[in-house]
Order: sequence, then C-alpha cells, then structure tokens
Amino acid sequence: MPDGSRTRAFKDTFNTLSRESAFKQPGDKGSTVPILNEFVAPHLESFNALFDDSGLPSGDGDGRGLLSLGVKDIGDRVVFDGLGQPDSEGASNWGNRLSIWIEQVSIARPMVPEKDRQAVERKVFPTEARERLTSYRGRMNIKLCWKVDAPGQSVRSSMKDCGLVPIMVRSVRCNLRSMSSADLVKHHEEPEEFGGYFVINGNERLIRYLILPRRNHVIALSRPSFTNRGPSYTPYAVQIRCVRVDQTSVTNSLHYLSNGSAMLRFSWRKQEYVVPVMLVLKALVGASDKEIFEGVMMQDYDNTFLTDRVELLLRSYKVFSLSTSDQCLEYLGDKFRVVLGLPEDWTNLAVGAWLLRKLVLVHLDSSRDKFRMLLFMLRKLYAIVSKSCTVDNPDSPQHQEVLLPGFLYGMIIKEKLEEALNQIRAQIAQDVRRQDASVDFFTDKYMQKVLSRVNFDIGLRMANFLATGNLVSPTGLDLQQASGFTIVAEKLNWHRYISHFRCIHRGAFFAELKTTTVRKLLPEAWGFLCPVHTPDGSPCGLLNHLSRTCRIVTSPLAVAHIPSLLVSQGMTQAFTPSVDGSQNLCVQLDGRVIGWARPSVAKHLAASLRIWKTESKNNIPLDLEIGFVPPSEGGQYPGLYLFASRARFMRPVKYVANGKDDQIGSFEQVYMDIAIKPSEIELGVSTHVEHAPTNFLSILANMTPFSDFNQSPRNIYQCQMGKQTMGTPSTAIKHRTDNKLYRLQSGQTPVVRPSLHNTYGMDSFPNGTNAVVAVISYTGYDMEDAMILNKSAHERGFGYGTVYKSHIVDLKDIRGANKSTSAPNLHFGLGHDIRLEPEEKAHSCLNFLDRDGLPFIGARLSPGDPLAAYIDDTTGRTLFDKYNGDETAYVDEVRLLGSDAGDSELQKIHLTLRITRSPVIGDKFSSRHGQKGVCSQKWPAVDMPFSESGIQPDVIINPHAFPSRMTIGMLVESMAGKAGAMHGLAQDATPFTFSESDTAIDYFGKQLLAAGYNYYGSEPMYSGITGQEFAADIYFGVVYYQRLRHMVLDKFQVRTTGPVEPLTRQPVKGRKRAGGIRFGEMERDALIAHGTSFLLQDRLMNCSDYSTAWVCRTCGSLISLGYDDASLEELGISHARLPKPTGPNGEYCRTCRATADDEDERTRRALATGQNPEKAGSNDVRIALSAQHVLGRQPKGGDLDIVAVPYVFRYLCAELASMGIAVSLEVR
Amino acid sequence: MNQQQGPGGGNSSFLPPPRQEMEYLCADCGAKNEIKPREPIRCRECGHRIMYKKRTKRMVQFEAR
Repeated sequence: MPDGSRTRAFKDTFNTLSRESAFKQPGDKGSTVPILNEFVAPHLESFNALFDDSGLPSGDGDGRGLLSLGVKDIGDRVVFDGLGQPDSEGASNWGNRLSIWIEQVSIARPMVPEKDRQAVERKVFPTEARERLTSYRGRMNIKLCWKVDAPGQSVRSSMKDCGLVPIMVRSVRCNLRSMSSADLVKHHEEPEEFGGYFVINGNERLIRYLILPRRNHVIALSRPSFTNRGPSYTPYAVQIRCVRVDQTSVTNSLHYLSNGSAMLRFSWRKQEYVVPVMLVLKALVGASDKEIFEGVMMQDYDNTFLTDRVELLLRSYKVFSLSTSDQCLEYLGDKFRVVLGLPEDWTNLAVGAWLLRKLVLVHLDSSRDKFRMLLFMLRKLYAIVSKSCTVDNPDSPQHQEVLLPGFLYGMIIKEKLEEALNQIRAQIAQDVRRQDASVDFFTDKYMQKVLSRVNFDIGLRMANFLATGNLVSPTGLDLQQASGFTIVAEKLNWHRYISHFRCIHRGAFFAELKTTTVRKLLPEAWGFLCPVHTPDGSPCGLLNHLSRTCRIVTSPLAVAHIPSLLVSQGMTQAFTPSVDGSQNLCVQLDGRVIGWARPSVAKHLAASLRIWKTESKNNIPLDLEIGFVPPSEGGQYPGLYLFASRARFMRPVKYVANGKDDQIGSFEQVYMDIAIKPSEIELGVSTHVEHAPTNFLSILANMTPFSDFNQSPRNIYQCQMGKQTMGTPSTAIKHRTDNKLYRLQSGQTPVVRPSLHNTYGMDSFPNGTNAVVAVISYTGYDMEDAMILNKSAHERGFGYGTVYKSHIVDLKDIRGANKSTSAPNLHFGLGHDIRLEPEEKAHSCLNFLDRDGLPFIGARLSPGDPLAAYIDDTTGRTLFDKYNGDETAYVDEVRLLGSDAGDSELQKIHLTLRITRSPVIGDKFSSRHGQKGVCSQKWPAVDMPFSESGIQPDVIINPHAFPSRMTIGMLVESMAGKAGAMHGLAQDATPFTFSESDTAIDYFGKQLLAAGYNYYGSEPMYSGITGQEFAADIYFGVVYYQRLRHMVLDKFQVRTTGPVEPLTRQPVKGRKRAGGIRFGEMERDALIAHGTSFLLQDRLMNCSDYSTAWVCRTCGSLISLGYDDASLEELGISHARLPKPTGPNGEYCRTCRATADDEDERTRRALATGQNPEKAGSNDVRIALSAQHVLGRQPKGGDLDIVAVPYVFRYLCAELASMGIAVSLEVR
Repeated sequence: MNQQQGPGGGNSSFLPPPRQEMEYLCADCGAKNEIKPREPIRCRECGHRIMYKKRTKRMVQFEAR
C-alpha cells in the first residue's frame, strides 16, 4: 500500500514554476506561445494583403495591396455635359467629356479624433473599443481625381473621407501589431493575444472561412439541373472560377448543347448571360475556322466523336455570319452596350473588347491565353461528354479553396468604392438631364457640390457587414450566399475561442440542401479538415475545422520563371502549332496553358519541380502545388496543373526521396502515397511521410487524451463538450465586457494530457479538474449517466464556477431621453427626492447606490434591487434602473464610459455582475471522452466508499457507462492519471504512441505496480455505510473532469398557475415568461392509456384554461347567454306583459327567447285573425291563469345550466358562430 | 421603490445638493480622478475615456452560507 513517504529525485514534468514565472513576467520579446500566432495567420495575412505595406513577399506583382489593385481595376467613369455643338460629322454632340476615377485608398490606424486635444496616447487600442462597447476602427480616405478631356485641362483631385473602417486586431493597421507578450499585457490583452478578429460594438466578431471552388482550374460537372436552362441543354458543363489579381472572381461555365456546340455562361450584376463559345473564340483572336478546328482537334483526326462535334460547332456558328474579330466584338458590344453602362462615346468594338476583358477568363490578361484556355475547356467538355474522362467532384477538397476574411473584406470595399463612383456619375448625369444651370465641369465648385451629395461612408457599411454578416451587394461578389459571413468569437472558454479561428464552413446554400453528399467525409480531406471536429446535428459535415497543421497560402508566389524553366526541361511551348492532343498532356500554371508534354515528360517535370521546391533550387517556391494527373481510362482529366495562387490548403509532410520538408496541397495529395509513420514507408510506393500521425486532427481533437482508444463518435462528442465547458475564458477577465462569461474557479492542469497541450499553452486556460473517480454502482442515484459528487469535494471547491454578466445602462436609449437636443436631460446621480439622512430614514436605494447614482462595487443584488439611479431634468425626479435577473448577483465592476473624444458627461455605464454557481444537483459534468452525466446527489463524505489507503472518490460513475460506448480511453486515462498522481508525472496521452506489442495497459500498469497499486488499476474498497469490503475490486483512478455550462439554474421551468394567453386563457410558453411546458397530444395519449383520468383532468383542464359557462338546455348553445335585470322588473319598467322565463339570476338564452317570442306572436296573430278554425271553435271559455301555473308549457329560453368547459372551447364556438355554424351541446 | 417623490415636498429650506465629486480610477493609467457630476469622463493625466469606480470603503459583509 502506498504511503507517499518515499523521497526521490524529482523532475517536474508539469513545468509549474516556469509557467508561473512566464505568467508573472510575460516575455518582452515575441510571444509566449508562438504557435498561437501561426494558426490565425490566414486571417491576419489576408487582411494585411489589402495594403501596400502588407509585409508579405511581393511575388510576381509589384507588391501593391489588394485595395490599390482593386481601385485600378475599377477604372474611370465618364459623363458628358451635353453642352457641345454637333460638329461637321454630327458624331459627338455629347459635349465635354469628364472622367472621374479613384487614385488611391488609404486606411489609417485607429486614432483618437482630432477634436480631443487632451489625450496623451493618440493611438486607440482594442481594449478601449471592447470596454467602451464601440468598434475598433481606422479612418479611410480616398483620393478622387477628375479631368475634363479637353486640351489644356489638368487633373484635379480631392481627398474624400470614407468614414471609419473596422480594423482587424493585430493586423498591419492595428496598434497592437508585433507587440510582445509583456506589451500586450500592458494594453490589457492576453499575453497570448493573436488577433484575427474585429471589435464591433464591443463584441469580437470574425469573418469565417468559407469553402469556394478552386480558382483558375477547370472542373467538369454533370448536373441534371443544367437541362432546365433551355432547349437542347445537356447536363454536361465545365466550369472555371477565375480570380483577378485583386482577388475578385468571375465564374465562367461552358455548357454542352445536344447539337454538339457549346455556350459560354457568365453573369453580370446577378444576371446570367450565355454566348456561343464560337463567338467568343473568334472575338478573342480573330481565329479562322481552321485554327479553331485544329486547336480543338489537336491532330486527333481519328477521333470521329470529336470531329463530328467540332464540325457541328463550326457549322452552327455560320448563322451569325461574323468572320473577323472586329465583327464579333462589334456584335457583342452592340448587344451588351445597354447593360454594361460604359461611356457613350465608346464604339461597339471597344465595348465588346471591354466585355471580354472584364468577364471572360479574367485571370488571364492576353487574348491569346484566353483563347487557348477556352480551347482546353472545350476539349475537356467533349472529353466528359464522350466519357473518356470522369466528372470532377465539387464537394471534394481537391477542387476547393478558401474564401479568406481579408480578401472578402477587400472585395466589399472595392465594390463600395465602385458604387460611390457610379453614384457620382449618376448624380452628374441627372443634373445634365435636368439641364441644371449649375452644371459646369470646369469649376471645382460644381464638383464639390456633386461630391457632397454622394454617400462616401464606406466605414459604416463595413461595420454593418461585420455586425450582421449580411452582404449588401449589387453583384453578389460571385458568392452563393448573401448572409452568414461573420460570427461572434465567443470567449466561452479557450477551446471554443480558438476553434472559431479554425472553423471553415461549406456555405449557407448547402445547409438547406436535402442531399447529404456535401456533408460526407471524403478521403481527400485527410490532413486538411479534421474528421473528428465537426458538430453533430444540422451543421454536421458542413461546418468543419482545419487540421492542426493545415495552412492556407496567403502570400503571392514568384512563379513567372517557371514556364521557361519547364521548356528547358522538355516541355513543348504553348504556341507550337502541331501538338498531338492524344499523346500530350496540357501543362497549366494557375489556369494558363504554358505548354504541352508527353505523359512521361510531364511526370519527369513534376518530379523535378518537387525536388527543386523541396531543396529550394531554381527559385521554385515551397508552396507551389504540383498536381500531376496521369492519363487513365476514364479517370480524372489528365494534365500537369501547377498552382501558385493564394487561398489554397497546404500542409507540411516529409518528402521521402530526399528527406526534406515538403508542403502539399489538396489537389496533388490525391495522387500521392503518404505513409503515416516512417515504419509504414513502402519503397517505390510511398512518396511522402507524415511528420506526426496526429497531424490530421484539429487542435481540439488533439487535446482528447488517448483518443485512439475510443470509439470515434465519442471523440466527436468530446470536441463538442470541450467547447461547452466552464473553463478559463481569458486571463484578462477584469477587462472583458462579454455578455456572458463562464469561469471555473478551481481549474487544474490535467495530469494526463497529450504533448500538444503544452505546445498550445493550454495550461494558461485550464478547462477542468482532476477528479478521483470510482467506477461503481453504489447508491442507486447513478443510473442513466447520473454521477455522484462527494459532498466534501464539492465543499472544497470542486467544479465551483462563476458567471459574469454584462449590464449596460445607456441613458441615451432610455425612454424619456431627449434625443433632439445635444444636451442630455438624464444624468446619473441621486436627486433631491432621495432622502440621504438621517441614516435610519434614508432612502432604501442607498443600500446599493453611491452618491453618484452608481452601485457600490461588491453590492449584493436581489431581483428588483436598483442598479443605477438617474435624474430626469424635466421632472426633477430620480429614476432607477433595476436588476431584473432572478438570481442573486454581486456587482463586480462599474465602468464609466466616456465618448469618443472624451468631451461629454456620463451617459453610459457598463456593470459586470458576478453570479456564483456552485455545483448543484442537476448540473452537467463530463470527462474528456464524450462521457457526460448529470450530478444526481452530493453524497456525504462519511457515506462514500473508501479504499485501503483511505481515499474516497470525488466522483462516482456507473459501470454501465462503458460497455456500449467503448470509451477505453477513459479507462486508460484513469490508470494513467492514478499513476501520474502517485509519481508526480504529467502523463503523455498523445494518441498513436502505443501498439499491440507495447500496450498502454502494460505501461501504466507497471507504473501502478511501482506505486504499490494493483496492475489493472482496481482496488479493494469498503462501503462507507456498512464498512464492509465490496465483493469486487473497484476500478479507481484519476480522470480529468469538465463542468459543462448547462446548469439547472438556467433551465428549470415549473409552474402551477401563472400568466395566460389572453385569447385562449391557456398558459403561455417560455421559461422567461414563467410559462409552462406543453402537455402535448402524446402525453395525453399516455394518460389515457393509463386510465389516470383525474390527472388528465388536472393537467388539461384545471391547470390550463378551466372555465365555467352557461349552456342553454333547450338549444344547447354556449354563446347566447343574456341577462334580464331583475331590478328593472320590480320598478315596473317592463310593461304589463308577463315576466319572461329566466334563470334564478335573470339569465336567459337569447336565441330561445327570440324563437319563443316569435312563435308566441304568430299564435296570437293566428288567434286574432281566426285562421285556426279548430282552435277558434273551442275558444269559448276563458279563464285567467298565470303563465307559470300552466303545466306542460316549456319555459322558453329560461332553462340554463352551468357547465365546466375549457375556455378555448368557448372561443371555438364563437369562431364557428362567426362562420354561421352553430354548436349545440346536449346537456343531460 | 421610489416612495419619497417630489423635490422636498413642502420643505421650504430647499437647497441644491452639493456638487459632490467622486473619485474614480482611470482604466488606462490608473490615476485617481475626481469627477463631479455632469463633468466629462476624461482622465486628467492621460485623457483616457474610461473610468472604473473604486471599491467601496463601506463594510461589505455577507453571511457565508
């Protein structure tokens, strides 16, 4: 039995002291945990790429930022003033030509506004935006230029303010850029702050990665829906998403028609257009029919399938009778002139050329390149139609890339700038049309007037985009969705927070798709998307997380020299006229045909490129993707496809041939043989080997200890629950203003953890507690995943948590605030109507509020207590803002928030309320193996079982939790934790480290033996109640337990009576409104089946809409109740007629009385006129008798009864009556 | 909650309350700032625009149960 008395040489494997000192004195150089900066790099670098000073390598371009490139692509807008005289030719009577363009765009760092002169620190830091609940924004300016195209006119310009644009934290425009951990802590950030998000109204929001089709690569598609596009359309098409240098994209599709020809499809301002591909081919280079024929056939004359199609293609074009390039361009220009909105003085030729430049294969500049690419697309289209190659799977990561946050941001800014420019033109054109006298292109005054009428506030729209995630766009940006781009980076705990930056969504469009094919986990995703870390439920498989080592290329690569290099290695050049298409493979670099090569040569080229890039020879960048698709029978369309573009998935592996590090992309990985472990390398087969077998898992999935021992769904559950744990969200909690923060007070570092736990610095943010767990069925309160907590463990602080809630009081938004004047009429403070002394007579609010009207820090608040007092100037009264929660809370922090320029009085405060959440029965806990359970009892320590060494469990779980779930990892963790706790070791729980010959059981079993325990981790235990030893040994060890944020206090919902719906008088729903839980039809069925009629009556009637109603026994109506006022009768107001029959309180049935009256009337009339002879005959004797004393006469309309009916039934009767349906109840 | 409404009621000796200043802490530099009611929220030392309320000097005592 271990007694712990042995002393031995101690080596700390938890690094407690070094961690503590790093936390006390964060490094003043660089970051404490550098890897955290790496995994958000795609966010930051894509944002940096917007600017000219991005700090990224320039690649093939001139290093200019995306905004500059975008502005260049926008070009100029032209208007005419209509003041010109028609000259002799009568051609240009448009008048003076004014062109307007944007010269440059600049976005500044967030700064204190000029108005504020007192501020010493002129920079604004993210923490201020967070604490003041504003946005972290920098000013954007553009230089707007215009010029009248007349001799002697110079370019004039004006700087326009475009408002404040949200800035990504830690980007090149952020004031926290490249700060060390020590400096970050000084600025109230985490020492590990990595940025990548925006601060919008105090919330941290980020733009989520989105999966897009791979750029500049032709994919073959077969979709039945294509046939609906029009007559003779077939399911076959090829598609290419072309991306310009400024990262905006245009998708071109080539549809195969059943008559053998093809149509090119593109869209312009959300409108789709189709053009015969022949027209475009001719227009691009003025190719002759022969050139096109040869270009498609490529000497493969024996292929009659192809010759037939090309012949049809050429023949079908004859109807246009356009043969030269100019004719085609003019035709295109003529047709598209109306929609494009180009300058009026442009010729049709110029419009047509512009169309081809801006909308067809926009990733290529030269027409010849576009022509070659279109021919390639045609060949691939014919290949899929002839089934000589297969269609590509657009759901496979092989054909996917990522929409990066910064690139999307740049696209939106570009579009907003373009919109502003169009507005200027529209404004001037409108003035010209109205013949406004002030129109004068030559004076600055008119131009300034026009500019003042145009909305340049781009910053506001960007903030709106980030705040809502909605894309307001006239073009749609070539994206499939218009909303859901941004998410809040919730700091619920550290795991959840970091997952946000690695999550990648398939697209909102796919979420509503009925088919599940897009959700499938494909083998192509290996190493790029984590197979474990995806939510279950509706976003399953659509919302993925990047694998730990997966990178996304963000910097441009220098690849301009590759074509000539490949030519020197035996590639045939692209312009070579006679290349045999059946023998040669196309070589493409970023969607540009750079040459042709025989398969053997292409294979050699690919191998050489790989050697060069891994050994960094010939300036081949490591991030070049070399996708060699070998020829196959009906496989993927062969070729050598090189990708050097951005936004691709890449991951590091080792190249076996030379032992160097290699980066591989998702396209090329499909054609590689990658061994998982060095021992698995097969000579001549394996090309690569993984650096670590766990690299395919995401960060979170890597945190599950011994995940290779668990059944796979359990690891998925753990990834979910790790993100719902009450942990340590932040180390700067004092400076956080999140709506809700959960905090575990007694967090510990796990004894059993994978080595990556340290790599990612998880010890700064503990997520749970090491608990002594006994697997035993002990009390009967541990059935069905319930668990028993040791009451003493609970009292020592096991799982003790806190919830921090934000409460904001903004006097500006309060009802009664005067919004029209600038001076506020509400002020924080106590007015004269609050009695301050003597103490015993003082106003009760003084228990909570200070003299400034703000609560004391540390004040305990019960529901309804005042949180803040403010004086209304107009009435002079003091009003209170009250605490409306339903739990006791403590005031943790009171922030007084000033205005942007620090020049206005207090109008807004932020209160942090602290709510203590000690574990109670019903709170949820879980181990790290998807084994969640609810605390069912806090069992007194004296009654807990104990081991021979006197140890009691903190947690008891039921053995039935294991057999069906097969979470062996938890059993191993229990052993490892026990051994680690006894030896003082941090146990490495990295998966895939043990094998059949070297088992985990043996490793930890021997450690347990050394510590004096049973090899298998079980121990004899004694009942805490009887003191008897159990018949069986109990599995007893240390497991890391997480407390989940789902707590009964947030969930319980009970009521007997309470608020009701006014229309039906049934209970309302919703926990917040003290509503009930629906006792539905199936529950009703159960009660009926049990025959528990009293319960049924109680639930559905008495506790719901019980009501009593008068029902007429005569007609059975519920709705015809009337009252006779008895008092009126006594006063003799009713005339001499007999009293009509009523109930005891004067109630009667209106319908029955009306019919009775009617009948009575008719009888009287009949008697009077003598129409009833038989009655008239026997009418001699007349005796005066009161109506009440006549027997057998029905009391017409007075016979009513009270019945109990549900109120909603009465409502139903009234509703039916309104439709002319009478409901009649039979009363027995 | 607000039982004693009306400014002073019939009390003729009606005086405006003293413009009592309160002490706050600057969120940036930590300096103590005395700010009167209806004064702008701005640190006198560094010009920062957020203030924290100081912890109360009153005894705060709860039953520890």
